[in-house]
Amino acid sequence: MIVPLDILLFITLIATAILALHVKDLLAATALLSAYSLFAALLFAGLSALDVALVEAALGAGLTGVLFIAAILATTRHSEPRTDPRRRLVVIPLIVAFVGLMLYASTDLPDRGDPDAPAHTGVATEYIERSLAETQTPNVVTAILADYRSQDTLGETLVIVTAALSASLVLARRRDEGEGTEATPADGGLGPDASDDAPGGRDRGGEERR
Amino acid sequence: MTGAYPSEVVRVICAVASPFIALFGLYVIAHGHYGPGGGFAGGVFVAVGAILPRLTLDERLAYRIFPPALGPLAAGVGMLLFLLVAVVPLFVGGAFLDYGAVTIAGMEPARVRYLGILVVEIAVGLAVFGAMLLIFDTITGRSER
Repeated sequence: MIVPLDILLFITLIATAILALHVKDLLAATALLSAYSLFAALLFAGLSALDVALVEAALGAGLTGVLFIAAILATTRHSEPRTDPRRRLVVIPLIVAFVGLMLYASTDLPDRGDPDAPAHTGVATEYIERSLAETQTPNVVTAILADYRSQDTLGETLVIVTAALSASLVLARRRDEGEGTEATPADGGLGPDASDDAPGGRDRGGEERR
Repeated sequence: MTGAYPSEVVRVICAVASPFIALFGLYVIAHGHYGPGGGFAGGVFVAVGAILPRLTLDERLAYRIFPPALGPLAAGVGMLLFLLVAVVPLFVGGAFLDYGAVTIAGMEPARVRYLGILVVEIAVGLAVFGAMLLIFDTITGRSER
């Protein structure tokens, strides 16, 4: 890791996050979120966490953006501003309290790379020392994910498949009702504005493409 | 959203690039033992290789290469494969997901665990690929029901 580069990346990271919340155009917000994921992936790579960086770059910076854009084209591109000013009175103190709590808790964390940190004194040493002999796998991360801790991986895979199936169950249109009306994923629930916007959003997407 | 993109440059570049992206995904899945990656990242790359033609190429062509039914199918097959690998050691007296308990003639336990990891990575890759394709097809309204 290079400290000035890390600081620069952190500043960019926070800036993209705040900008993504502030822009009104949801397409721009999606692009900013993808950039956020890319910078996060660079930070992970800087910490030598290449497995996490690869997943973050592929999923966070790549595919999630495509899925968000698909969702925008199916609905609407503009976010409605929150009008109720009382929300701020509740939300801002909550955020400040949460950040304060996290900062307070972080003072108790061990230093980065500290060999006496609890994470390094437990079973992790065993994994690092024995994984090559026990599983013939040079990449310790793969050995842990797919062998020692494969039940976690089983759970994660189950979560992803369940999420996809649930999304399909909730959003998929039956063939008979999808013919005449273009892109009204659900009757009711979204309110009249959403169902008015839906065909328009799709048309706008078509115009931009041309 | 989906369908042939008007610009020929974009169409050609995506048509040329998408098989290589999918191939890189297969490499990442198969190479998880030696480098960064594995089932999750590799499955996402393969899914991108399938989604890119949907975004840019003619619909008939794109949906013939990767039909919408492939998403739920791959997700289910991957999940079943993972569960199968998890359950097999139980029959030979091992613990759940303990591949090393399975004895294959002429193979040391470490090698069996190596193969177990490979099968798990393939299963995860299939499941993630299927799930991502299913979500994309659902959002674009092309999933079959």
